[in-house]
Amino acid sequence: MSDTPGSASTVARAVINKYPKIESKPLDGNKVELVVPIEKIRDVVAMLDEEISDALPESMFGVDLTENKYELIYIFWSHLGKMLIQLRVQLEGETPEIESVADIFPGLEWHERETHELFGIGFKNHPDLRPLLLPEELEGQFPLRKSFKTDRSRMDETGLPKPKPRPAPRGESS
Amino acid sequence: MVGSLGGYDMQFDFFTWFGGLWDWIYGILLWFWAIIKWLGIWILDIIDGIWILASIPENFMFLFRAIIMPGLIFLLLALIFTIWFTRKIWARIQDRRGPTHLGKYGGYQLFADAIKLMGKEIIIPDKAKAWLYRILPSLLLVIVLIPFAFIPWDPYWNIMGPPGAAYGDLSVSLVLVFALLTAVPVFSLLIGWVTGSKYSLIGGFRAANNQFAAEIPMVISSVGPAMLAGSLSLFSIVAAQTSIWYIVLLPINFATFMVASIASVGTFPFDAPVADSEIIFGWRTELSGIYFTVIYFAEFAEQMLYSALMVSLFLGGFNGLPFLPGIVNFIIKWLVVYFIFTVVTSSFYRLRQDQIVHLCWKYLIPLSILNVVLVMFAMAYLPWLVPLVVGG
Amino acid sequence: MSPDILDESCVIWFGPQHVSAHGWAAKLTLVGDYIVECDPNAGYFHRSAEKCLEFRNFRQGSMILERICMMEAFLGEYPYIAAVEKIADLEVPERAKIMRTIMMEFNRIHSYQFWFGQFAGELGLFAMLLWPWVDREYSLDAFEQLTGSRHTVSYATPGGVKYDFTPKFLSKMDIALSRCRNRMPLFDDMLAGSPTFRLRAEGVGQYTAKQALKWGLSGPNIKACGIPMDLRKDDPDPNLAYDMIDWEVPTIHNEDHPGECDAFDRLHQRFKEIETSLDIIEKLLPLLPEGPIIDPKARGKANRLPEGEGYGRVEGARGITTVWLKTMEKAQTPWRAKIRGPCFASYYSLKHIVPGARFADFPAIFGSLDPYPGWWDR
Repeated sequence: MSDTPGSASTVARAVINKYPKIESKPLDGNKVELVVPIEKIRDVVAMLDEEISDALPESMFGVDLTENKYELIYIFWSHLGKMLIQLRVQLEGETPEIESVADIFPGLEWHERETHELFGIGFKNHPDLRPLLLPEELEGQFPLRKSFKTDRSRMDETGLPKPKPRPAPRGESS
Repeated sequence: MVGSLGGYDMQFDFFTWFGGLWDWIYGILLWFWAIIKWLGIWILDIIDGIWILASIPENFMFLFRAIIMPGLIFLLLALIFTIWFTRKIWARIQDRRGPTHLGKYGGYQLFADAIKLMGKEIIIPDKAKAWLYRILPSLLLVIVLIPFAFIPWDPYWNIMGPPGAAYGDLSVSLVLVFALLTAVPVFSLLIGWVTGSKYSLIGGFRAANNQFAAEIPMVISSVGPAMLAGSLSLFSIVAAQTSIWYIVLLPINFATFMVASIASVGTFPFDAPVADSEIIFGWRTELSGIYFTVIYFAEFAEQMLYSALMVSLFLGGFNGLPFLPGIVNFIIKWLVVYFIFTVVTSSFYRLRQDQIVHLCWKYLIPLSILNVVLVMFAMAYLPWLVPLVVGG
Repeated sequence: MSPDILDESCVIWFGPQHVSAHGWAAKLTLVGDYIVECDPNAGYFHRSAEKCLEFRNFRQGSMILERICMMEAFLGEYPYIAAVEKIADLEVPERAKIMRTIMMEFNRIHSYQFWFGQFAGELGLFAMLLWPWVDREYSLDAFEQLTGSRHTVSYATPGGVKYDFTPKFLSKMDIALSRCRNRMPLFDDMLAGSPTFRLRAEGVGQYTAKQALKWGLSGPNIKACGIPMDLRKDDPDPNLAYDMIDWEVPTIHNEDHPGECDAFDRLHQRFKEIETSLDIIEKLLPLLPEGPIIDPKARGKANRLPEGEGYGRVEGARGITTVWLKTMEKAQTPWRAKIRGPCFASYYSLKHIVPGARFADFPAIFGSLDPYPGWWDR
């Protein structure tokens, strides 16, 4: 419980001391990455909020590693300690679920909304999970998953007429 | 028993009846013709009567003055010039040129704009009250144009002559002008409500709020010149400024009248009713095509009217250089006042609605009352001031 | 206000078709003239940039990034290139480092000139919309001289920069910057010195630094509260030249309300930012060494990247702009690209700042936060 945290590794060590099942991996510079299991995410984020007085919730997003495996990455930046903490959560399943941290860091509320609509990752106890960016046709289709193809295989969905091959111009090969 | 048909007795003689049928039809036709003749003679009588009235010299000259100069045609041409003038000034303040393509220096731009706007489709929103939507904008323009009849452009060649002459100015024409101008924000509120969208409703309420804030300082500021001249007739107020223009004695009133009139028109910086970046176009949002043109003209006509009022009340109207005809004096002064009006309006940020009300009630009203009270005391205790001010 | 006053509330869409809402919407609940609830609504600008980046190679990807926000195009494309350079471990020649930094500061100045015009225009003075934009034209002339394009400069590439500074560009940049510097007192007068502007901007849109940090605000929006949080100093990129010179992070210290800022402070903050940027360019220009502008082997290395994750960050004109890339082994395109725009947090903070303000303050509030829907929707 310090006011001006020293370095990223100090914070990481504090977190691992409290929750021994977390692995950590130092990145270059004053940055550290913590691999957090799903059930501990709220505790770790709350602890970061306590340890770092001016934590900025920089970003939160999902990564689709195929075969129904997903990763959630949370990135926090602190100006006073000049450190960056990156949390990685491994998720599995067709529609994986995780607890929302939007009440600890309000800035992550919309990041969670966006991740939910683009990847299909559910957030429990989220105040408002309406789609943020997508139009109604794409709700529930989770466009950023790798299984959402953007090639001609989905041409029928667009309602456009099928392209007909044009006849080659006379006397020239197409 | 006349005529029997095969031995049967008839109550009714067919041949007699048939013989009289044509007379009956002929009588009806004569009756219709008489009505038509009567109608025609009646119409011709009316035209005759009007013609006799119009050929009386005073009446004819009144019609000429009211319609051509300085009446309707002159006003429309002046309006076209005013809009061009305003657009050029705004452009130069904003570091650009304004209309340049049509006509030398862009003079015909307004004709092109008017023709284009009249050709646009008129979209009446679903929730709008259609007939009111169609009537109210034109009514607004008419109400803004009527007070021009009372402005004293020239001592002789004016629509209304001096009070007491044939077609003389009303003895309370200042009050009538303000009565008509007070109706304008009411029409803005009505148009805002009738066009059926939330943004225009908000704009209409803000226009009513503007009136609530700005009409009072304006009327109090005009009490000053009326008091000095001793009359409420616009013509008399101007005729009384032969020795000294009232702006010398009432400078604060001139300033408050100008600020209050900017707020009353609803142009920047008091254009919260039509705030471009907040409520799209306020009460004018849903007007399109010809109705928009009419409102556009009405806004500039109102600005012209307030400048003309300022010239008559404070700057001496047609009094000025003695070798120039009165109307030329008036127009020169009017151009100067209008230029100041336009430059002042383009230099301030838009005030919020509650800030407008604060400004008008906390600053303009005390200042205008102050000047009126000072002049009252001056007139009472400085006896040499009275003949100077009432004039000849 | 009692709870049942909401019965008289009226819901109005400050919608996408609005003069000052350039591509986003907000559902406002109004009671009288006061806004009670603000629900910003997005999606009108969504062009699925992140999915598009998965199909573009590492030299093409930055072109998508710069089109997300045209005003700070170079500041938008740089994080992608920084991320690629981190994964491929590329070294940038020193001349290129300094040229990149100069271009970034120049682009930042251009973005703030645009913002002055937009903010003042939204508050009602159309003249103040056009005056800063005249200066902007000179900056755009300089960009065009260097790269051929006015807004989307695509100046940097993994390993260096694409175009060298020519004497013509240097003279055009000098004209643009000296004009900007000379006109700063005029804009200061017309904005901060105008009494009607102070009426509209003072006390409007206040928040404390602690709240702002929780919402994710960064850049000038936080520096106006007195916290000198600037990525150029806190986390200097080794491929840029910010650590080669001595400069100070611009912040505002307001004695009336320390730790808080309102729209007027944010205006002052952006004035200071322009001064700082002019200062940095002035200090960097004499340090420009001769040499190559790109390492020729870098082009080959950027074709196929090894497996890895790179996180490129830059202090954009509006805040922290980052791109997170993940690549698989010998990939030509990234596996996942995540763009974090600073205005994502600005729009979110509107939800908390706006309730309680009058309707006419709404353009003033969001104008002073300098939001752009491109960074929100991507």
